[in-house]
Amino acid sequence: MEGDERVRRCRRRTRAQATLEFAFAAPLFLLCFFATIDAALWAVQSSAVVSAVEEGARVAASAASTPAGQRAPSAQEVTAGVVGQLKSALFATSVRTWTAACPAAPGDVEAVFGPRVVAVCVHENAPPPCTTPPRGVPAPYPLYCADSPTVSVRVVGFIASLVPPAFGLGWHGGEIPVDDGATTHTLRFAP
Amino acid sequence: MTRRRSGGSAQAILETALVIPLMLLLISNFLALMVQVSVQEQMDSAVSLAAESRFQAPEAAHDSSGARCCPDPRCCNRASDASSLNTSGLPTGCRFAAETFYGTMPFERFLIWHPAPLCLTGGDSGASGQARTGVPYRDSPRDSHLSCVIGSTDPNGTVHRGFLDHALNPPFGLYVVTCDATATLDFSRTPLAWGVFWSPTIHAHAEAVPPPFRQ
Repeated sequence: MEGDERVRRCRRRTRAQATLEFAFAAPLFLLCFFATIDAALWAVQSSAVVSAVEEGARVAASAASTPAGQRAPSAQEVTAGVVGQLKSALFATSVRTWTAACPAAPGDVEAVFGPRVVAVCVHENAPPPCTTPPRGVPAPYPLYCADSPTVSVRVVGFIASLVPPAFGLGWHGGEIPVDDGATTHTLRFAP
Repeated sequence: MTRRRSGGSAQAILETALVIPLMLLLISNFLALMVQVSVQEQMDSAVSLAAESRFQAPEAAHDSSGARCCPDPRCCNRASDASSLNTSGLPTGCRFAAETFYGTMPFERFLIWHPAPLCLTGGDSGASGQARTGVPYRDSPRDSHLSCVIGSTDPNGTVHRGFLDHALNPPFGLYVVTCDATATLDFSRTPLAWGVFWSPTIHAHAEAVPPPFRQ
Protein backbone atom coordinates (compact mmCIF):
# COMPACT_ATOMS: atom_id res chain seq x y z
CA MET A 1 0.00 0.00 0.00
CA GLU A 2 2.74 2.36 1.08
CA GLY A 3 4.78 1.38 -1.95
CA ASP A 4 1.91 2.28 -4.35
CA GLU A 5 1.54 5.71 -2.75
CA ARG A 6 5.30 6.34 -3.19
CA VAL A 7 5.14 5.39 -6.88
CA ARG A 8 2.13 7.69 -7.45
CA ARG A 9 3.93 10.58 -5.73
CA CYS A 10 7.02 9.95 -7.80
CA ARG A 11 4.96 9.95 -11.04
CA ARG A 12 3.20 13.20 -10.02
CA ARG A 13 6.57 14.83 -9.34
CA THR A 14 7.92 13.71 -12.71
CA ARG A 15 4.84 15.15 -14.49
CA ALA A 16 5.20 18.47 -12.60
CA GLN A 17 8.85 18.64 -13.53
CA ALA A 18 8.04 17.99 -17.19
CA THR A 19 5.41 20.75 -17.16
CA LEU A 20 7.86 23.18 -15.55
CA GLU A 21 10.59 22.32 -18.06
CA PHE A 22 8.12 22.76 -20.91
CA ALA A 23 6.98 26.15 -19.51
CA PHE A 24 10.62 27.29 -19.54
CA ALA A 25 11.63 25.71 -22.82
CA ALA A 26 8.62 26.56 -25.00
CA PRO A 27 8.92 30.38 -24.87
CA LEU A 28 12.70 30.11 -25.33
CA PHE A 29 12.21 27.79 -28.27
CA LEU A 30 9.61 30.10 -29.83
CA LEU A 31 11.86 33.13 -29.29
CA CYS A 32 14.78 31.36 -31.00
CA PHE A 33 12.49 30.13 -33.78
CA PHE A 34 11.10 33.60 -34.55
CA ALA A 35 14.53 35.20 -34.11
CA THR A 36 15.91 32.83 -36.77
CA ILE A 37 13.09 33.71 -39.16
CA ASP A 38 13.62 37.37 -38.29
CA ALA A 39 17.34 37.16 -39.00
CA ALA A 40 16.63 35.62 -42.39
CA LEU A 41 14.02 38.30 -43.14
CA TRP A 42 16.43 41.02 -42.02
CA ALA A 43 19.09 39.64 -44.37
CA VAL A 44 16.65 39.71 -47.30
CA GLN A 45 15.34 43.17 -46.40
CA SER A 46 18.73 44.81 -45.84
CA SER A 47 19.98 43.30 -49.09
CA ALA A 48 16.95 44.75 -50.88
CA VAL A 49 17.58 48.16 -49.31
CA VAL A 50 21.25 48.18 -50.44
CA SER A 51 20.21 47.21 -53.99
CA ALA A 52 17.40 49.79 -53.99
CA VAL A 53 19.76 52.55 -52.86
CA GLU A 54 22.23 51.58 -55.59
CA GLU A 55 19.49 51.54 -58.23
CA GLY A 56 18.06 54.79 -56.86
CA ALA A 57 21.47 56.46 -57.16
CA ARG A 58 21.67 55.31 -60.81
CA VAL A 59 18.18 56.67 -61.54
CA ALA A 60 18.99 59.97 -59.81
CA ALA A 61 22.38 60.28 -61.51
CA SER A 62 20.89 59.84 -64.96
CA ALA A 63 17.81 62.01 -64.34
CA ALA A 64 19.28 64.76 -66.48
CA SER A 65 21.21 62.57 -68.89
CA THR A 66 19.67 63.94 -72.04
CA PRO A 67 20.74 67.24 -73.59
CA ALA A 68 17.19 68.48 -72.92
CA GLY A 69 17.16 67.53 -69.25
CA GLN A 70 18.90 69.99 -66.95
CA ARG A 71 16.73 69.62 -63.91
CA ALA A 72 17.57 68.05 -60.59
CA PRO A 73 16.32 64.49 -59.99
CA SER A 74 12.97 64.32 -58.25
CA ALA A 75 12.38 62.17 -55.18
CA GLN A 76 9.10 60.90 -56.69
CA GLU A 77 10.86 59.57 -59.80
CA VAL A 78 13.58 57.88 -57.75
CA THR A 79 10.99 56.35 -55.41
CA ALA A 80 9.00 55.12 -58.39
CA GLY A 81 12.19 53.56 -59.76
CA VAL A 82 12.93 51.55 -56.63
CA VAL A 83 9.55 51.01 -55.00
CA GLY A 84 8.83 47.76 -56.88
CA GLN A 85 12.15 46.31 -55.79
CA LEU A 86 11.62 47.36 -52.18
CA LYS A 87 7.95 46.42 -51.87
CA SER A 88 8.54 42.85 -52.98
CA ALA A 89 11.20 42.38 -50.28
CA LEU A 90 9.99 44.46 -47.33
CA PHE A 91 7.40 42.50 -45.43
CA ALA A 92 4.70 44.55 -43.65
CA THR A 93 6.60 47.77 -44.32
CA SER A 94 5.44 50.57 -46.58
CA VAL A 95 7.62 52.79 -48.77
CA ARG A 96 7.05 56.55 -48.99
CA THR A 97 8.67 59.49 -50.73
CA TRP A 98 10.37 62.06 -48.52
CA THR A 99 10.16 65.40 -50.30
CA ALA A 100 11.72 67.78 -47.74
CA ALA A 101 15.41 67.83 -46.70
CA CYS A 102 16.56 64.30 -45.82
CA PRO A 103 15.66 63.15 -42.29
CA ALA A 104 18.48 63.06 -39.75
CA ALA A 105 17.51 59.70 -38.25
CA PRO A 106 14.99 56.86 -38.74
CA GLY A 107 12.97 58.30 -35.84
CA ASP A 108 12.13 61.38 -37.95
CA VAL A 109 10.45 59.16 -40.54
CA GLU A 110 8.44 57.40 -37.84
CA ALA A 111 7.37 60.76 -36.39
CA VAL A 112 5.89 61.78 -39.75
CA PHE A 113 4.60 58.54 -41.29
CA GLY A 114 4.13 56.26 -38.27
CA PRO A 115 5.68 52.83 -37.58
CA ARG A 116 7.10 50.41 -40.13
CA VAL A 117 7.67 52.92 -42.92
CA VAL A 118 10.82 53.54 -44.92
CA ALA A 119 11.22 56.80 -46.81
CA VAL A 120 13.22 57.42 -49.98
CA CYS A 121 14.89 60.82 -50.02
CA VAL A 122 16.96 62.52 -52.69
CA HIS A 123 19.24 65.49 -52.19
CA GLU A 124 21.24 67.26 -54.88
CA ASN A 125 24.32 69.25 -54.00
CA ALA A 126 25.31 71.77 -56.70
CA PRO A 127 28.91 72.92 -57.09
CA PRO A 128 29.79 76.59 -56.63
CA PRO A 129 29.10 78.72 -59.71
CA CYS A 130 32.12 79.48 -61.93
CA THR A 131 33.40 83.07 -61.98
CA THR A 132 36.18 84.89 -63.83
CA PRO A 133 39.46 83.80 -62.21
CA PRO A 134 41.80 86.40 -60.75
CA ARG A 135 44.94 87.11 -62.80
CA GLY A 136 47.38 84.20 -62.75
CA VAL A 137 44.81 81.68 -61.50
CA PRO A 138 43.82 79.02 -64.04
CA ALA A 139 40.17 78.46 -64.99
CA PRO A 140 37.83 76.93 -63.92
CA TYR A 141 37.54 79.13 -60.84
CA PRO A 142 36.72 78.54 -58.00
CA LEU A 143 37.89 74.96 -57.51
CA TYR A 144 35.25 72.29 -58.34
CA CYS A 145 32.95 74.79 -60.11
CA ALA A 146 33.05 72.72 -63.32
CA ASP A 147 32.02 69.52 -61.50
CA SER A 148 28.66 67.95 -62.15
CA PRO A 149 26.39 68.12 -59.05
CA THR A 150 26.45 65.26 -56.55
CA VAL A 151 23.23 63.50 -55.71
CA SER A 152 22.55 61.54 -52.51
CA VAL A 153 19.85 58.91 -52.24
CA ARG A 154 18.89 57.54 -48.83
CA VAL A 155 16.47 54.87 -47.70
CA VAL A 156 15.72 55.53 -44.05
CA GLY A 157 13.10 54.39 -41.54
CA PHE A 158 12.05 51.26 -39.67
CA ILE A 159 11.40 47.84 -41.18
CA ALA A 160 9.07 45.32 -39.55
CA SER A 161 10.45 42.59 -37.33
CA LEU A 162 8.88 39.53 -35.69
CA VAL A 163 10.72 39.58 -32.38
CA PRO A 164 10.36 42.69 -30.23
CA PRO A 165 12.59 44.50 -29.44
CA ALA A 166 14.43 43.15 -32.49
CA PHE A 167 18.18 42.71 -32.00
CA GLY A 168 18.95 45.44 -29.54
CA LEU A 169 17.63 47.29 -26.55
CA GLY A 170 16.31 50.78 -27.14
CA TRP A 171 14.87 49.95 -30.53
CA HIS A 172 11.15 50.09 -31.04
CA GLY A 173 9.31 46.82 -30.47
CA GLY A 174 8.65 44.98 -33.72
CA GLU A 175 10.90 47.21 -35.79
CA ILE A 176 14.50 47.37 -36.95
CA PRO A 177 16.00 50.73 -37.96
CA VAL A 178 17.43 51.04 -41.45
CA ASP A 179 19.51 53.91 -42.83
CA ASP A 180 21.37 53.34 -46.06
CA GLY A 181 22.58 55.89 -48.56
CA ALA A 182 24.63 56.45 -51.69
CA THR A 183 26.20 59.59 -53.12
CA THR A 184 27.35 59.90 -56.69
CA HIS A 185 27.89 62.51 -59.39
CA THR A 186 25.09 63.20 -61.82
CA LEU A 187 25.50 63.08 -65.55
CA ARG A 188 24.88 66.51 -67.02
CA PHE A 189 25.21 67.80 -70.55
CA ALA A 190 26.43 71.35 -70.99
CA PRO A 191 23.43 73.71 -71.27
CA MET B 1 15.85 9.36 -2.83
CA THR B 2 17.34 12.75 -1.82
CA ARG B 3 20.75 11.73 -3.14
CA ARG B 4 19.16 10.68 -6.45
CA ARG B 5 17.34 14.06 -6.69
CA SER B 6 20.48 16.12 -5.99
CA GLY B 7 22.31 13.99 -8.58
CA GLY B 8 19.59 14.86 -11.11
CA SER B 9 19.81 18.62 -10.51
CA ALA B 10 23.61 18.53 -10.70
CA GLN B 11 23.29 16.84 -14.08
CA ALA B 12 20.81 19.51 -15.25
CA ILE B 13 23.17 22.31 -14.16
CA LEU B 14 26.07 20.62 -15.95
CA GLU B 15 24.01 20.21 -19.13
CA THR B 16 22.95 23.87 -19.01
CA ALA B 17 26.53 24.99 -18.38
CA LEU B 18 27.62 23.06 -21.46
CA VAL B 19 24.75 23.94 -23.78
CA ILE B 20 24.36 27.69 -23.13
CA PRO B 21 27.93 28.78 -24.06
CA LEU B 22 27.78 26.53 -27.12
CA MET B 23 24.48 28.10 -28.17
CA LEU B 24 25.82 31.63 -27.62
CA LEU B 25 28.92 30.73 -29.63
CA LEU B 26 26.75 29.53 -32.50
CA ILE B 27 24.56 32.65 -32.37
CA SER B 28 27.59 35.02 -32.33
CA ASN B 29 29.17 33.29 -35.31
CA PHE B 30 25.86 33.37 -37.17
CA LEU B 31 25.59 37.12 -36.49
CA ALA B 32 29.22 37.61 -37.58
CA LEU B 33 28.47 35.83 -40.84
CA MET B 34 25.46 38.11 -41.41
CA VAL B 35 27.61 41.18 -40.76
CA GLN B 36 30.17 39.88 -43.26
CA VAL B 37 27.52 39.35 -45.94
CA SER B 38 26.04 42.79 -45.28
CA VAL B 39 29.44 44.56 -45.51
CA GLN B 40 30.25 42.64 -48.70
CA GLU B 41 26.98 43.81 -50.28
CA GLN B 42 27.59 47.43 -49.30
CA MET B 43 31.16 47.30 -50.57
CA ASP B 44 30.07 45.76 -53.90
CA SER B 45 27.47 48.48 -54.29
CA ALA B 46 29.89 51.34 -53.43
CA VAL B 47 32.64 50.03 -55.73
CA SER B 48 30.21 49.48 -58.58
CA LEU B 49 28.78 53.03 -58.35
CA ALA B 50 32.33 54.41 -58.05
CA ALA B 51 33.43 52.74 -61.29
CA GLU B 52 30.36 54.06 -63.12
CA SER B 53 30.74 57.61 -61.82
CA ARG B 54 34.03 57.99 -63.69
CA PHE B 55 31.94 58.54 -66.81
CA GLN B 56 30.19 61.57 -65.26
CA ALA B 57 33.46 63.48 -65.77
CA PRO B 58 34.75 64.43 -69.23
CA GLU B 59 37.54 62.20 -70.65
CA ALA B 60 40.10 65.01 -70.76
CA ALA B 61 39.17 66.80 -67.52
CA HIS B 62 41.98 66.96 -64.95
CA ASP B 63 41.91 68.36 -61.44
CA SER B 64 43.68 71.66 -60.96
CA SER B 65 46.18 72.36 -58.22
CA GLY B 66 44.73 72.15 -54.71
CA ALA B 67 41.90 69.75 -55.57
CA ARG B 68 41.19 67.14 -52.95
CA CYS B 69 38.76 64.35 -52.41
CA CYS B 70 37.37 64.26 -48.93
CA PRO B 71 36.05 61.03 -47.45
CA ASP B 72 32.68 62.75 -47.42
CA PRO B 73 32.00 64.55 -50.73
CA ARG B 74 29.88 67.15 -48.97
CA CYS B 75 33.03 68.54 -47.32
CA CYS B 76 35.16 68.61 -50.45
CA ASN B 77 35.31 72.38 -50.55
CA ARG B 78 37.36 72.25 -47.36
CA ALA B 79 40.90 71.66 -48.60
CA SER B 80 42.23 71.63 -45.05
CA ASP B 81 40.71 68.23 -44.25
CA ALA B 82 43.71 66.18 -43.10
CA SER B 83 42.23 62.87 -44.16
CA SER B 84 41.43 64.01 -47.69
CA LEU B 85 43.22 62.67 -50.75
CA ASN B 86 45.18 65.07 -52.95
CA THR B 87 43.92 64.69 -56.51
CA SER B 88 45.79 67.62 -58.14
CA GLY B 89 46.80 66.70 -61.68
CA LEU B 90 44.79 63.48 -61.73
CA PRO B 91 41.87 62.78 -64.06
CA THR B 92 38.70 64.28 -62.55
CA GLY B 93 37.10 60.84 -63.00
CA CYS B 94 39.41 59.50 -60.27
CA ARG B 95 38.07 62.06 -57.79
CA PHE B 96 34.49 61.37 -58.87
CA ALA B 97 35.02 57.64 -58.29
CA ALA B 98 36.55 58.26 -54.86
CA GLU B 99 33.83 60.71 -53.85
CA THR B 100 31.16 58.21 -54.82
CA PHE B 101 32.87 55.42 -52.92
CA TYR B 102 33.39 57.46 -49.76
CA GLY B 103 29.87 58.85 -49.98
CA THR B 104 28.30 55.40 -50.27
CA MET B 105 30.35 53.01 -48.14
CA PRO B 106 29.57 53.17 -44.43
CA PHE B 107 32.88 53.28 -42.55
CA GLU B 108 32.56 51.04 -39.53
CA ARG B 109 35.35 50.93 -36.97
CA PHE B 110 35.71 47.15 -37.29
CA LEU B 111 36.87 47.49 -40.91
CA ILE B 112 40.63 47.57 -41.47
CA TRP B 113 41.20 48.90 -44.96
CA HIS B 114 44.05 47.86 -47.22
CA PRO B 115 45.48 51.10 -48.65
CA ALA B 116 46.21 51.22 -52.38
CA PRO B 117 46.93 53.84 -55.07
CA LEU B 118 43.76 55.76 -55.92
CA CYS B 119 44.30 56.13 -59.64
CA LEU B 120 46.02 53.75 -62.05
CA THR B 121 46.40 53.45 -65.80
CA GLY B 122 46.87 50.45 -68.07
CA GLY B 123 46.51 46.82 -67.17
CA ASP B 124 45.22 44.00 -69.25
CA SER B 125 43.04 40.96 -68.63
CA GLY B 126 45.45 39.06 -70.93
CA ALA B 127 44.36 37.31 -74.10
CA SER B 128 45.96 34.08 -72.89
CA GLY B 129 45.24 34.48 -69.19
CA GLN B 130 48.43 36.51 -68.53
CA ALA B 131 46.82 39.39 -66.66
CA ARG B 132 48.79 42.61 -66.05
CA THR B 133 48.00 45.11 -63.32
CA GLY B 134 47.84 48.85 -63.91
CA VAL B 135 50.51 51.41 -63.06
CA PRO B 136 49.71 54.29 -60.63
CA TYR B 137 49.53 57.80 -62.06
CA ARG B 138 52.58 59.82 -61.04
CA ASP B 139 50.68 62.07 -58.61
CA SER B 140 48.24 59.47 -57.32
CA PRO B 141 47.81 59.23 -53.54
CA ARG B 142 48.86 55.77 -52.28
CA ASP B 143 46.71 55.48 -49.19
CA SER B 144 43.23 55.34 -50.67
CA HIS B 145 40.64 52.73 -49.69
CA LEU B 146 39.57 52.54 -53.33
CA SER B 147 41.79 51.81 -56.28
CA CYS B 148 40.62 52.42 -59.86
CA VAL B 149 42.12 51.92 -63.30
CA ILE B 150 40.93 54.93 -65.28
CA GLY B 151 41.84 56.02 -68.79
CA SER B 152 42.24 59.71 -69.66
CA THR B 153 43.84 62.17 -72.01
CA ASP B 154 46.07 64.63 -70.15
CA PRO B 155 46.42 68.36 -71.02
CA ASN B 156 49.55 67.60 -73.13
CA GLY B 157 47.51 65.23 -75.29
CA THR B 158 49.08 62.06 -73.88
CA VAL B 159 46.59 59.21 -73.80
CA HIS B 160 46.52 57.05 -70.69
CA ARG B 161 44.67 53.84 -71.36
CA GLY B 162 42.11 52.22 -69.10
CA PHE B 163 42.04 48.50 -68.35
CA LEU B 164 41.87 46.37 -71.50
CA ASP B 165 39.35 43.58 -71.01
CA HIS B 166 39.77 40.89 -73.66
CA ALA B 167 36.58 39.12 -72.65
CA LEU B 168 34.61 42.05 -74.09
CA ASN B 169 34.58 42.78 -77.83
CA PRO B 170 36.90 39.86 -78.78
CA PRO B 171 39.54 39.61 -80.11
CA PHE B 172 40.46 43.31 -79.72
CA GLY B 173 39.08 43.82 -76.23
CA LEU B 174 37.50 46.94 -74.76
CA TYR B 175 38.97 49.61 -72.48
CA VAL B 176 36.97 49.66 -69.28
CA VAL B 177 37.16 51.24 -65.83
CA THR B 178 37.86 48.85 -62.99
CA CYS B 179 37.70 49.62 -59.29
CA ASP B 180 38.75 47.51 -56.31
CA ALA B 181 38.54 47.79 -52.54
CA THR B 182 39.77 45.40 -49.86
CA ALA B 183 39.18 45.38 -46.12
CA THR B 184 39.54 42.99 -43.22
CA LEU B 185 36.69 42.60 -40.78
CA ASP B 186 38.17 42.75 -37.30
CA PHE B 187 35.54 41.26 -35.01
CA SER B 188 37.80 41.85 -31.99
CA ARG B 189 36.57 45.47 -32.15
CA THR B 190 32.96 44.39 -31.78
CA PRO B 191 30.89 42.93 -28.93
CA LEU B 192 31.12 39.60 -30.80
CA ALA B 193 34.86 39.41 -30.01
CA TRP B 194 34.39 36.87 -27.19
CA GLY B 195 33.12 34.14 -29.50
CA VAL B 196 34.22 34.98 -33.07
CA PHE B 197 37.81 34.08 -33.74
CA TRP B 198 38.04 34.67 -37.49
CA SER B 199 38.83 37.88 -39.36
CA PRO B 200 37.76 37.51 -42.97
CA THR B 201 39.21 39.71 -45.70
CA ILE B 202 36.58 40.93 -48.11
CA HIS B 203 37.22 42.28 -51.56
CA ALA B 204 34.98 44.06 -54.03
CA HIS B 205 35.72 44.46 -57.71
CA ALA B 206 33.64 46.28 -60.32
CA GLU B 207 34.05 46.91 -63.99
CA ALA B 208 32.24 49.70 -65.84
CA VAL B 209 31.88 49.77 -69.60
CA PRO B 210 31.88 53.23 -71.19
CA PRO B 211 28.40 54.44 -72.16
CA PRO B 212 27.67 54.34 -75.93
CA PHE B 213 28.59 58.01 -76.50
CA ARG B 214 32.06 57.31 -75.07
CA GLN B 215 32.86 54.13 -77.02
